[in-house]
Amino acid sequence: MGEAANILVVDDEKGIREGCRRILMSEGFAVDVAENGKEGLDMAKAKPYDLMLIDLMMPVMGGIELMEQIRQLDPEIVMIVITGFATIETAVDAMKHGAYDYIPKPFAPDQLMAVLNRGLETRRLRLEAEQLRQERDQKLLEIAGEKSKLRTIMNSMADGILVINREHQLVLWNPAALKTLNLAGHVEIGKDIAEVIAEKNLLEVINKAFNPDSSQYTIFSEEVEIVEPERKTLIVSVAAVRDEKGQDLGVVSTFRDITTLKEVEEVKSQFVRMVAHELRAPLAAIEGYLNAYLTGVAGKDPQFNRQMLERARLRSKSLIELVNDLLQFVRLESKRVERKKELLDMKEVIESNVELLKNQGDSKDVQFQVDIPEKLPLIEADRAEMDQLMTNLISNAMKYNVKNGKVIVGARPEGHFLCIIVADTGIGIEEQCLPCVFDEFYRVRGPKTRYTTGTGLGLSIVKRIVESHFGRIKVESTVDKGTTFTVKLPLRQVDAG
Amino acid sequence: MAKKPRILIIDDDVDFIDLNRAVLENSGYEVVTAFSGREGMDKVRFEQPDLIILDLMMEKHDTGFTFAKSIKADPVYKKIPILMLTSVAGETGFGFSQEQDGYWMKTDDFLNKPVAPEDLVKKISELLEKAKQSE
Repeated sequence: MGEAANILVVDDEKGIREGCRRILMSEGFAVDVAENGKEGLDMAKAKPYDLMLIDLMMPVMGGIELMEQIRQLDPEIVMIVITGFATIETAVDAMKHGAYDYIPKPFAPDQLMAVLNRGLETRRLRLEAEQLRQERDQKLLEIAGEKSKLRTIMNSMADGILVINREHQLVLWNPAALKTLNLAGHVEIGKDIAEVIAEKNLLEVINKAFNPDSSQYTIFSEEVEIVEPERKTLIVSVAAVRDEKGQDLGVVSTFRDITTLKEVEEVKSQFVRMVAHELRAPLAAIEGYLNAYLTGVAGKDPQFNRQMLERARLRSKSLIELVNDLLQFVRLESKRVERKKELLDMKEVIESNVELLKNQGDSKDVQFQVDIPEKLPLIEADRAEMDQLMTNLISNAMKYNVKNGKVIVGARPEGHFLCIIVADTGIGIEEQCLPCVFDEFYRVRGPKTRYTTGTGLGLSIVKRIVESHFGRIKVESTVDKGTTFTVKLPLRQVDAG
Repeated sequence: MAKKPRILIIDDDVDFIDLNRAVLENSGYEVVTAFSGREGMDKVRFEQPDLIILDLMMEKHDTGFTFAKSIKADPVYKKIPILMLTSVAGETGFGFSQEQDGYWMKTDDFLNKPVAPEDLVKKISELLEKAKQSE
């Protein structure tokens, strides 16, 4: 024992007390003495003892009562009874009251030491056992905590996780895995992974972790396409779990569904292809005209040569418009677009835009008719975007009009909406083309629009603006009669008016 | 002097047509034009061109193919050489060539857009020469 054990000797016989003290101190113990049970109890309350030697017959408080009290105070204190009436009955009685052993008086020092050392050894073992029990309980608690932590982490992950053991049996999974791989109802602890997962290529990837040559990497990822129940693209990461000797214990597989990402990527590159195509057409025309002008390959007619340059200029202008529209388009597309919504009087917006476009003039000499009541209810909208909306609609009505045609712009409240109408008396749109007019880069092609430049983005931008203001847009058209666009924008919720 | 060879240009880009009309007229050809496959078919019938310059992508992505196919299926018109112009190569990464794709595209030759006027003129005279020899 590291420290010297603390021993209390309780006996009313001074000879025994002193005798014991001397023997024990010479053995290196720390010894205190008490004359009776009461004194012994007080001392035990004041200082922790490892072992007590207790006489049974004492005045004030006897040994039996003392033992009772001590047992309640600290059950781990080893109590050894010293008794002059060494009968079986007293011994049994003492044992019943918690004594560890007893020594009959008189006793020899060796006898005392033998019993005492045994008692101390027992106490040491008991304390050690208690400590181990506590440690084990602590560890069990920690493991339970770790397990619940692990469960929570796995369950809250967006990526699916499946864990299988060396025998390819399923041991652990999370809800995301069930969802991603559509395994609800198929999983069960101990089930072979091949029975759980139907997709062959997915199984192949997981099984690769068991390959002997996989021991060189800790984790590897592969893109896997699955078809059931719907086409999905997954990033599968597989890692073998190994023990300290490098033996495979099992495999942890994680699954990330990147289907949407792939789709977005595809849409994006499709858009880039379309943009590139749209940019090249005017550039090729400009390059062609300039080349022909400079080399004279198209002949010497000065009028035609000048015409070529004018066309080149027109196409460059449309190119600039296209780039502007693209920028606007991308700005609307990005979710972070800053929309400064303010209370707007559309009457003012419409009239100023009509005025602006009227003065820019165009070769068709169209007439304008504006039908707006004296006072319009306000809407909450972004001024710049409303300008763009009106410009795009009105300039289209001018562009696709006939000579001396008419552009009618109107606005009026209609229920919870402000209804804006832009109509023309132009060439109209064939019914089969109507569903496409809001598509990016779509342009109705026909003999009458051959020389009209346009980006194919104007109406897509209009639609996006309307939708970002929680509105609706509708188009009606009759060939050779004209086209009418109707925009409905929500009125301000609570009109303070 | 012999009758001027008549070239039909089918393309939906008005600038491409105007420019190449000038280039070809300046090189001694007579030019007729069409802006769509359907209009092109009418022009083949009524103008009887000696050669057709055809854009691959017009109102539909494969208008050029369809057009070439129906010309080559016709006993009378199949002799008219078709020069297909594509800008598809750059967009899709797939190039076409007469050696590889001519047999199924039913064309007589290919040029990638943008086309240099001198290349166009050269190619046209080659094709016309070839057509004359096979008669």
